[in-house]
Amino acid sequence: MSSATDRLSTVTGRLDQSLQPLADGFNRLFGDYVGELNGLQFVLVFGSLAAVLTAPFWGTFGLVRAMTVAAIWAIFAMSWDIQSGYTGYISFGHSVLSGAAAYTTAMLIHNVDPGLSMAVTIPVSILAALVVGLLIALPSLRLSGPYFSLITFVAVLIFYRLIPSFSAYTGGETGIQSVEVFTYDPIARYYYMIVPMLVVAVALTFIARSNIGLILVSIRENEAAVNAAGIDATKFKIFSFALSSIPMGIGGVLLVHFTGGVDPTTFIAVDRSIEMIAMAVLGGMSSILGPLGGAFFLIVLRDYILTDLANLSSPARWTIFWALVLAVLVFVRDGLFRKLWHGLERYGRGRT
Amino acid sequence: MSVLEIDSVTKRFGGLLAVNDVSFEVDRGEIVGLIGPNGSGKSTVFNCIMSIYDVTEGSITFDGTDITDHRTHEVVNSGVSRVSQESNPIESMPVGGNIQLFTLPNSIVSFGGGASDAEIYEYAARVDIEDKLEEMPDELPHADIRRLEIAKALATEPELLLLDEPFAGMNQAEITELAATFERFRENGMTIVIVDHNMGGLMELVDRAVVLNNGDKLMEGTPTQVTEDPRVQKAYLGTAEEA
Repeated sequence: MSSATDRLSTVTGRLDQSLQPLADGFNRLFGDYVGELNGLQFVLVFGSLAAVLTAPFWGTFGLVRAMTVAAIWAIFAMSWDIQSGYTGYISFGHSVLSGAAAYTTAMLIHNVDPGLSMAVTIPVSILAALVVGLLIALPSLRLSGPYFSLITFVAVLIFYRLIPSFSAYTGGETGIQSVEVFTYDPIARYYYMIVPMLVVAVALTFIARSNIGLILVSIRENEAAVNAAGIDATKFKIFSFALSSIPMGIGGVLLVHFTGGVDPTTFIAVDRSIEMIAMAVLGGMSSILGPLGGAFFLIVLRDYILTDLANLSSPARWTIFWALVLAVLVFVRDGLFRKLWHGLERYGRGRT
Repeated sequence: MSVLEIDSVTKRFGGLLAVNDVSFEVDRGEIVGLIGPNGSGKSTVFNCIMSIYDVTEGSITFDGTDITDHRTHEVVNSGVSRVSQESNPIESMPVGGNIQLFTLPNSIVSFGGGASDAEIYEYAARVDIEDKLEEMPDELPHADIRRLEIAKALATEPELLLLDEPFAGMNQAEITELAATFERFRENGMTIVIVDHNMGGLMELVDRAVVLNNGDKLMEGTPTQVTEDPRVQKAYLGTAEEA
């Protein structure tokens, strides 16, 4: 067994060395900002990037549609990660944030002016997500322990019940279905989702690899030490929630212009919050790119492989979805993509 | 000129009076021992200074500023740093990373900043762990973990260093070496308060000692005055008999 892995790492090590000049070029330019790669990791990152960018040219309609949805959920999973994954203050209510943005867009169009331009509704909706985020974060993040998680959980339950209570404005259970979609062209639509996702991924990776990310992780590991270091842990916890709310708002806006409407089940129900967590956990919490990978993995599996290829019923698809998440929680707690990343590090030359 | 003034500080936990109307001052450049048997309130005084606990009554002044109601990070940024009795490094970060955290600015827009590798090396070198910057905390022997705690405190550039049982669990050679390190800190202008329940070794290091017993201040004085004082002897022997 060990001789087989030795032989494998001889081959991969050589492969890694031949790719190293490419990775070195990247490291020289960006290594200081996002961390250094070895040759194999470089191929994983840029191979995936190339695959994602060219998907409409080689993928089937079903696959591209699944990847379009995955791009939106990747934004949610990464946004959840920069707050919950990094600080360890687990939010069970992140769908409130994307829901706030999506409902703001739909309610502006439904109640204010159907002709309202996206140039108005999009920034206002993202701002709404930020405001709701601060409303949750300011009182709850001063508490420590499980209270924060419970408050986010209750927040999503309240928000979910509030929608039908104001059905004249919110459309009640069936929601508002008069939102304009970005485009009906599936290829253009794909890029409408992929480009913001890549921007969010780069921005959050940069922040996560900066001092800010180091402080957020330190809050998770030892909050008292952060205060003892002269750093206001409470301020950084609230900041991480605000930082998470903005891309959550972006994702919410993308989702409402993808589906062409809002309703409480698709946008707010607590299940949606748990799905974001599942994607982040499956990919690997506190790594930003892990949750991105987790979102693509789970959604392509659920919406394309199990639907188009395997023709399974919806309950069967969801059962497999959650069974897989459970299996990762039990057997690969650090997440599939973190495992893969460290594997490439070991099988490559292993940079320190 | 006193740099730290503890003025009639009282700390109650419900019905328990942990610190009762304690006052003392520390002058700039002094090394002061805060001693007393276990449970006498020494660490509670430190926790009050660091705002881990709110004081029930009284005030704490550092360098002319009332820091009683400051929050922990504000106390640290005003120039006070504490080395806890318990070591609590972040296990997922190497020694260098643990020190680096203590140099980062308290700013949500500061993506860079913090100490350079050379500066981190310097902090580590002041307590002789400069060749262990890459090691993980769980690989270090006890004495080096304790040194890391001191290096972290140094990295906040304190004027006043509070040391809580710094010699606990160390052998005689390590204690002697660490005491010499503290002397060097003082020569570089730092003021130090050391908590210890063990009077013996501490008395050669400190200029003065404040003795607590059951939350009350028993006395303060030079090491000779303290060791010869019958009340101090009784407090220590008393607890020995009870134990």
